[in-house]
Amino acid sequence: MSRLKLKLAAAAAALVAGLGLGQANAETVRFWYHFDNPDNPMSGLVQKFEKQNPGITVEADNVPWNSYYDNLYTAIIGGNAPDAAMVKLFAQPRLVEMGALEPIGKRIDAWDGKKELLDNLLTLNAGPNGKQYYLPIQYVVLYLYYRTDLFKEAGLQPPKTCKEFREDAKKLTHAPDRYGFGFRGGKGGWDQWGTFVFSRGAKLEPGGLTTPEAIKANQWLVDMFRKDKSIPPSAPNDGFQEIIGAFKSGKTAMTIHHIGSANDLVAALGDKVSAVPVPKCDGHAWTSYGDESLAIFSASEHKDAAWKWISFLAEPENNVAFVKATGQMPVTKTGSKTYDGHPKRFVEATVNSLPFAHVLPQTSATSDFVNTEWQTAMQQALTGQITPKAMMEKLQGLFTK
Amino acid sequence: MKRDGFLKRLAITHIPVALVILLAIGPFAWMILTSLTPSAAIVAKGVSVSPAGWAPDNYVRLLAHTDFLGNMGHSLIVALGTVALGLVVSVTAAYAFSRFRFFGRRVLMLQFLLVNMFPVVLLILPLFTLMRRLGLLDTHLALIIANATVAIPFAVWMLTSYVGAIPKSLDEAAMIDGCSRLQALRRVVLPLALPGIISTGIYIFITAWNEYLYALTLGGRHVRTVTVAIQTLIGEYQIEWGLLAAGGVVGALPVTILFLIVQRRLVGGLTQGAVKG
Amino acid sequence: MSSINEALALEAPGPRRRRRLRRDAFLPYALLTPAVVVVLIIVFAPMIEALVTSFYDYVLFRPNAAAFVGIANYVKLFHDPVFWTSLWQTALWIGLTVPLQMGLGLIAALLLNRDFAWRGLARALVIIPWALPSVVIALMWRWIYDPNIGVLNDLLLRLDIVRAAIPWLASPDVALYAVIATLTWQGFPFFAVMILAGLQGIPKSQYEAAAIDGASAWRQFRHITLPGIGPILATAGLLRTIWVANSIDVIFVMTGGGPGYSTYTLPLFAFVKARQNLDFGYGSAIAVTFTVILGAIVAVYIARTMREVER
Repeated sequence: MSRLKLKLAAAAAALVAGLGLGQANAETVRFWYHFDNPDNPMSGLVQKFEKQNPGITVEADNVPWNSYYDNLYTAIIGGNAPDAAMVKLFAQPRLVEMGALEPIGKRIDAWDGKKELLDNLLTLNAGPNGKQYYLPIQYVVLYLYYRTDLFKEAGLQPPKTCKEFREDAKKLTHAPDRYGFGFRGGKGGWDQWGTFVFSRGAKLEPGGLTTPEAIKANQWLVDMFRKDKSIPPSAPNDGFQEIIGAFKSGKTAMTIHHIGSANDLVAALGDKVSAVPVPKCDGHAWTSYGDESLAIFSASEHKDAAWKWISFLAEPENNVAFVKATGQMPVTKTGSKTYDGHPKRFVEATVNSLPFAHVLPQTSATSDFVNTEWQTAMQQALTGQITPKAMMEKLQGLFTK
Repeated sequence: MKRDGFLKRLAITHIPVALVILLAIGPFAWMILTSLTPSAAIVAKGVSVSPAGWAPDNYVRLLAHTDFLGNMGHSLIVALGTVALGLVVSVTAAYAFSRFRFFGRRVLMLQFLLVNMFPVVLLILPLFTLMRRLGLLDTHLALIIANATVAIPFAVWMLTSYVGAIPKSLDEAAMIDGCSRLQALRRVVLPLALPGIISTGIYIFITAWNEYLYALTLGGRHVRTVTVAIQTLIGEYQIEWGLLAAGGVVGALPVTILFLIVQRRLVGGLTQGAVKG
Repeated sequence: MSSINEALALEAPGPRRRRRLRRDAFLPYALLTPAVVVVLIIVFAPMIEALVTSFYDYVLFRPNAAAFVGIANYVKLFHDPVFWTSLWQTALWIGLTVPLQMGLGLIAALLLNRDFAWRGLARALVIIPWALPSVVIALMWRWIYDPNIGVLNDLLLRLDIVRAAIPWLASPDVALYAVIATLTWQGFPFFAVMILAGLQGIPKSQYEAAAIDGASAWRQFRHITLPGIGPILATAGLLRTIWVANSIDVIFVMTGGGPGYSTYTLPLFAFVKARQNLDFGYGSAIAVTFTVILGAIVAVYIARTMREVER
């Protein structure tokens, strides 16, 4: 071979070798998330991370929320799961049972950012077997929205007890133009229902839903719809869009939701909307803690890189950028102190509700309860197809072990 | 034929057609109004009925700040690919079914129907695994094949009906003149079946364009169709109504324009006088 | 109608003809192979797989606990009141939606077949309901039906047709019909386009001859148009029945099957069980049962009304 050819061959070989080595260093982390904001603020965070960590590429995919979990389960079973993803507590029991999650307890303990996380968030997000799979990334707590103008007009103060709540709702009702309370009977409304039923002692466990107190509590709520008629007749099919829409237009004077909708409501109503923690029923309050965390999947081949990415997102500054896009609350102490993404009154309502904010028990029956069973039973009870007592018995059938 | 008077035409044709069109696009008009109202205004005051409140904000945001045009491109590739594959396969199959009597004919025709009776949701997981093994996940080809399997059975049945309406005597006349079977198909049957082929093509296009479940599961970051893109506008806590409406309007445009072009071929009189005596 | 066999029987086949005959005998199979192969691999194999799964107690997040249970899933299904509710509602669903779509589509096709200046535009506009993605349609109509801020109730109240807003989607008696109305709106352009194409195959000379004989428009319709598009109507109707029976996109977004179970159809039931509850064994059983029932109806339909296809 001529010397030129030799040189060329050597150069080619070196190039190929270099590429090979380069490939060995460049890792790709596949990450799934769901943002309501379509303008893709994730790209800013991805760029920042990649600058800090040359050699790791992050492929972040925004998966439509409606099919997020369907797609995730399919991908896991089909062998094409991402390396990391945003996940919620209701999915944890199933994912753990599938063996799909990677325990990250040790990594968290060794991590600098651990002390930055708000107290007891890690406990709330612990796995069913005591191991830690979830890294909290944001949260919301449900509180009571009320129309300041309508309350002033009726000469009422926002309710502190359930008794006051029911009375206020009746007084504020001028059917068919206005109703006291916008109840969400469609999917996802269990967190409103819980405020009135779990606070009175009902529990998602064997025998916990059919105690006299639990049945009475459910009856109380259904009576508000069927007897007092202080809840709009559309409640059985109302989802998040409907209750917020009705509240905005003045069709309802109160509803229960969280800070994720606060900015939207303020843009529409300004000072006419405010929030307080949910009322206490018989001296106890219960409200839902809306969680969101990040997890690494056990089938991932880039677990270290994935951990770097998700812990990056949980650092104070990045976490604040993250929640600015999602409209929820940051999980770090520093972030919470300086967070100005929402008007103060809503942040206060959220923080003041933390002491009695709960998550549902971590069992796979809970997934069914949350996904399909609660709303079907609730709709039947509201429309009179079954009695409130029968509804509780039906739901009890899910929790029998 | 005498030309009917203007008033009569108005009553018999123009007004009824206008009513039908009104029925078709009336609900859609609401969507158009929503897309022309800037998001902030929708949130604050609701959809703006008067032109004073209109602005192109949603369209600008949709087309400039999200990848919607790219998504349309992906949808177009998948839909056109499905039409091509579907028509080629279905026309030949329809010709076979309508012109031949052969063993297993009825079974095969029924099998095509059976295949579309099964709820798609249970086919997704096996299909996903198959595509992953073939390395076709997140490619246009995967979506084209998946959509074709949904469209082909129906297309075969529809085209068999259309081709069956063309008298066999025409084929035979051509063959007596020296054409082979396939030449008869190409030269005689296809031109006459054109309206049927066009409407079936539109059907395949729309089916592929609007398909969501397969596009979501078999697609990914490299192939994201319009239906998936629109679903991302429906968030956990808020729906981007303005963008959603704009997306609906823009998403429906290609089909409407396509049909506007091809409907000119939906004219009759082609079979007149083809076979004399 | 002469068949190829009859034509060939008239003349003794020479050697070239004989070779061509043998080639022609394989031709239909050759023409069909691509379609059959694709469908077999992509759809049939998973269908068989689903059939097998229905005999197991298979929950997706407990893949190792799958147990063979024979027909237990089916027994459970026939004792499940939700199954019977869904079955009845599926029948209502199909029985109302398809005829309504067909009727409206027929009217539209007849009108759009006439000759008038803005015909092209009219045809293109009529296709819009069919061209929109299901999720957009479902959300749009959900908004229209909303009792608090929706357009429909607003209109009805203004026109004094009702005294209070009707919760279209929240009332178990009305919800199914409200969704049927939406689906009629979505699907009638399909019939309009298919029938329009079919109308082109009817020679104008037939109409001219009838007009000369003094036949009224109605008689022309009954004796020329209807028979002319008969096969198309039968086929399109059958195909649409299968499509409507299986379509769950719109119901799912509009009501999720509720309130209670009042808008459940069998495929929706299968979807909820398989995709939401991840109970694949039971979901497969529902899907198989549905396919069998629908298949039986289709078989009866074909045997009794589609003799034209056997021409």
